[in-house]
Amino acid sequence: MHNQQATVKTHELKLMLDRGDKFVLLDVRNQEEFERWRIEGRHPLEVKHVPYFRFVEDPDNAIQGLPKDQLIVAVCAKGGSSAWVVNEVLRPRGFQAVNLEGGMLAWGSYYQVQELPESSSRLRIYQLNRVARGCLHHIIAYGPGLDQAVVIDPPRHTDKVLDFIGQKNLKVTAIIDTHAHADHVSGGVKLSQITSAPYYLHPYDGIHPMDVLPATFAYEMLKDGMQFDLNGAKLTVLHIPGHTLGNTALFLESSDRRYLFSGDSIFLQSIARPDLGGRAETWTPLHYKSLYTRLLTLPDDTIVLPGHYSRPQEARADGLFAATLGELKRTNVDLRTYTELEFRNHILSSLPQFPPQYVDIKRVNLGLLAADADRIEELELGKNVCALATAYKT
Amino acid sequence: MQESTIHADRELDVRGAQCPIPIIRARQEINQLQVGQTLKVIATDPGSVNDFKGWAQTAKNIELVKQEETTDTNQKRVYIHYIRRTA
Repeated sequence: MHNQQATVKTHELKLMLDRGDKFVLLDVRNQEEFERWRIEGRHPLEVKHVPYFRFVEDPDNAIQGLPKDQLIVAVCAKGGSSAWVVNEVLRPRGFQAVNLEGGMLAWGSYYQVQELPESSSRLRIYQLNRVARGCLHHIIAYGPGLDQAVVIDPPRHTDKVLDFIGQKNLKVTAIIDTHAHADHVSGGVKLSQITSAPYYLHPYDGIHPMDVLPATFAYEMLKDGMQFDLNGAKLTVLHIPGHTLGNTALFLESSDRRYLFSGDSIFLQSIARPDLGGRAETWTPLHYKSLYTRLLTLPDDTIVLPGHYSRPQEARADGLFAATLGELKRTNVDLRTYTELEFRNHILSSLPQFPPQYVDIKRVNLGLLAADADRIEELELGKNVCALATAYKT
Repeated sequence: MQESTIHADRELDVRGAQCPIPIIRARQEINQLQVGQTLKVIATDPGSVNDFKGWAQTAKNIELVKQEETTDTNQKRVYIHYIRRTA
């Protein structure tokens, strides 16, 4: 009897994770891949790691420990091995098993879009969450008809951005990268080519810090204090060097609310690392000044929308990654009232390992390195490591 | 291109195939070999490198002799795995 292919899609799995559904995640990838990154949610998740070749060699042994009375969601790198395990081994033996369609590859390019409920008159803010890697991207819809948009830190999966923009009937008026990213390939230039909206970057980030070579494309330059008028609401650029030399945060003020798109500077439970340009010692004082004299002096009721998170548990109950500046001052361990020396010691003793692929990702982002889709996938493997090491301690 | 000095008794071409096919086919082929004989697997899936390592460690009657990365006549990147049947 032919078993119907039993699959679950990425957005369905995300819903299951958010709800805290009871199921077993069966990861059938090899050891190296499993250690590199894996599926996680904000609720405790039972994970079983049994590489698929164990099912090939000795299926009766490999199934030991798998529950008969619970749903099993199997995942592999691209969906092929897990489908085989589900359809050829587990389901014939009576397990309730389903396969994550597309595997970790699909999971890696899945974005969940949520609207920030704290909207303002004539403004809607959307947060795009790249769940697998902890990257956050934002879209501000504005204008009397809510038909214009600014895209902040667009991801390289421009089809997903364009789908959303199409659904909401938005016309993109500006594309802003808060900084030249090292952890993911930006969709800024590509989105600009497709929509004809100008692409903005701070010029200090238009130069690769290690190669000391300029970007190979033209872009509009962000400048400290520059403002975008969003039909009455003001989006102001704050130049906050530290994470990078051209790092910026975007402060949005409407009639009744304030928001800070903090990119990689302040995260919800940590701060950005200042060593990805290879110059922790010299960039740390800049980082201190940017955080303590510019960002932390903004109004406490400012809603902070960061560019990354390290753990799904950082999200609010509604799933959004947002908190007021006042809350962060109270709860963020990396934002204590440090003196500059205390801050420096804290930073230099909290730096995670340097990911060598970040040098190449930044080269791709500045047009200094051409990379095909496969190479980009390889470079982007794993969760982001943009924060201090304190963020990753479990 | 590196010349290999390993003698292979059988060759398995799984270029273009994605997991789990390379290992499923390799297991089938190994079963056809005599003890002591070596199978040469040619794959294009980069995941095959760690998969074959892991498989050889898990499986009872094989050992991974060598792995190579090279390009084939079509300029495609290929991964060669030499597996010996040990029992």
